[in-house]
Amino acid sequence: MAWGIGILRSSYESLLLSYGVWEALLPYIIWGQRVVFVCLLLVATVGGRLRLRRKYVQVLDSVFTFAAAKLGDETPLEEEGEARRDSDEVHEAKDSDRVVIDPESPKAEPGSPDGSFKFQDPLPYLAAGMRAVVSDCVTKSFTSAELRTWNMLSRTKHKRYLRLSRSLTVFWVVGVVIRYLFLFPMRLLVTVISLANLVVCCIAVGLLPESEFKRRLNAKVVTWCFDFVAGSISVVARFHNPENRPTHGIAVANHTSPIDCMVLATDQCYDMVGQKSGGILGVFMSALSKSSTHIWFERTEANQRAEAAKRLREHSQNTRLPPILIFPEGCCVNNTAVMQFKKGSFEMDCTIYPIAIRFDPRYGDAFWYQDTFVQYLFSMMTSWAIVVDVWYLPPMQRRQNESGVAFAQRVKALIAHRGGFVQLAWDGLIKLHTTKQDVWRLKQSQWRQKQQKEFARHFEEREEEEEEEKEEDEVNRDVNVKENGQMESEESAKQETKVEKRRKYSEKEEIKESDADENEKRDVKREEETGKGNTNTREKKAQ
Amino acid sequence: MGNKSSLMLQEQDIRDIQAETGFLPSQIERLYSRFTSLDKGDSGTLSREDFLRIPELAINPLGDRIVHAFFKESEDDHVNFRQFVRVLAHFRPIKKAQDNKLNAREEKLRFAFKMYDLDDDERISREELLAVLHMMVGENISDDQLNSIAERTILEADRDGDQMISFEEFCSALERTDVEQKMSIKFLK
Repeated sequence: MAWGIGILRSSYESLLLSYGVWEALLPYIIWGQRVVFVCLLLVATVGGRLRLRRKYVQVLDSVFTFAAAKLGDETPLEEEGEARRDSDEVHEAKDSDRVVIDPESPKAEPGSPDGSFKFQDPLPYLAAGMRAVVSDCVTKSFTSAELRTWNMLSRTKHKRYLRLSRSLTVFWVVGVVIRYLFLFPMRLLVTVISLANLVVCCIAVGLLPESEFKRRLNAKVVTWCFDFVAGSISVVARFHNPENRPTHGIAVANHTSPIDCMVLATDQCYDMVGQKSGGILGVFMSALSKSSTHIWFERTEANQRAEAAKRLREHSQNTRLPPILIFPEGCCVNNTAVMQFKKGSFEMDCTIYPIAIRFDPRYGDAFWYQDTFVQYLFSMMTSWAIVVDVWYLPPMQRRQNESGVAFAQRVKALIAHRGGFVQLAWDGLIKLHTTKQDVWRLKQSQWRQKQQKEFARHFEEREEEEEEEKEEDEVNRDVNVKENGQMESEESAKQETKVEKRRKYSEKEEIKESDADENEKRDVKREEETGKGNTNTREKKAQ
Repeated sequence: MGNKSSLMLQEQDIRDIQAETGFLPSQIERLYSRFTSLDKGDSGTLSREDFLRIPELAINPLGDRIVHAFFKESEDDHVNFRQFVRVLAHFRPIKKAQDNKLNAREEKLRFAFKMYDLDDDERISREELLAVLHMMVGENISDDQLNSIAERTILEADRDGDQMISFEEFCSALERTDVEQKMSIKFLK
């Protein structure tokens, strides 16, 4: 045993030496790493309670403010949140006389009084198209968000002409040393320990017989284990409105990264739904399943999907089981926008608990934009921290005569308002456009027809147009008086009723058909499987 | 992400493009970053598929015409960065202080005219107008109604009675339109 450790230590030291590190520095580095290791362990296990993690974030905050001042940037960092809300795109979209190219609720400029076509009528579409060429909201939502001030990570240094003063360069170099030499290896070590701990605890709890005591113990133990894992990669989470914490039913949240589940699980025990997989992930899944009633199923099997849907329904009705966590967007978005919610889980008659998750991008980006998962993990472990704000929203029920789609829209509007996100009507289907061309083309032509229909209203009877313009004016007036989120939900609801008035019945059927598949599709932790899952659902439809 | 692309654009290129289009260096870098992100094949040029991969453009009724506008200048069905920027320069907002070459009102109008005039004969015929109308309304208006709408539009703008719209007639038809506002987009620095 002793010589085993000795061999490990010598190989580790030689590894460090191979980094080109001077021999003289080696003992300091090792000593530093030991300190960091102990700190991390402490922070990960009890730090959440002792607010140690918050203190760390505050220290970082002061460093960044100093850096911003050095760079000559006058805007204080707190404005980051407001800046996001008042982003240019949002303002442009709200401009009442501008053409809006939107898949679900397009908007055309009002036509000329005599219902004729003028040469300048297509110009706004031309401009909208050029705007899309320069920057479109979909691509923006799937790439990592831009920061307003620099946060000492070279990966966010996008301006070539960012002038670094001497003190700033020193800070940056120190930052690199701290992150790569101290934080990263120790985080790796603590993460491994915490994951092993999770598996062991879950299995241990699983040995108990089924009972109320087991459920409560599971809740406490699993929450603590996930907190440990979260702490090891320096996730600092703040939970708002804990009185609305889900206790049963279905919890829905916006999806940004593979670690969303873990972040939420540090505060409340959830049951997850997902694709069965092998390897390391399979080990975790089976360990978790031992202690609680998660729903894992094989996506490619049709009967397993149907069964999973049934189990989901039963699980959500049972008030004694933990709540189920679902991500209705179906894909990871970069935390500046919320995409269309799939209506599947909103059609069940149970309480829905909306949750808004917002990551603070200044300390580290949790969005997975790297090419492989390993790179993603590496990038996360060499960031400063992952800071999250979680808002629990009051539970919601589907109203009488409210369709699943409308209910989903309502929940989405609330989540978007709370988290300060832009609402997009595009759905994660877009990510399919590389894999399933024919499906994408069909959807595209449907959406384009909507835009055309909207423009064709130019030529309809003038009285009808006047009526609509009055309605639009009313909407705009209401809009100016009420708050942001309510405005969006009202406007989208009004738009939806307007568009629905004009929608052909066959179009509705087509959309319903394609949505019926999504009823059986459930969201998973890992984003890569979403693509596969979608493909298989579509294949089933083709059959 | 941005770092890699800005290295491939030379200082001299940026200066040339600035002289030609009036964009600031930071705007040119941003556009280059966008260009490389659209260029999925890493070939240094964009094809039609690259453009139509943008969802908002793909569902725009005028999507095909817009893409066509980029390819008018190139011979081989590929758009390089210079051509890309040159087309976008037409949509720069007009600033009185700056020297406006490609985004002057006349240039914007000429761009809009070319969008209608597919066969490049300096005239918009009724067929060309009908083609654009058809793109805009799809199947929602009957052919007869479209025909009469097109006739009326040409009648109103036609001065010399040749049933076609020349560039001068086009400009006078749009005399009172705020072309600057309708055909300008915001370019972030």
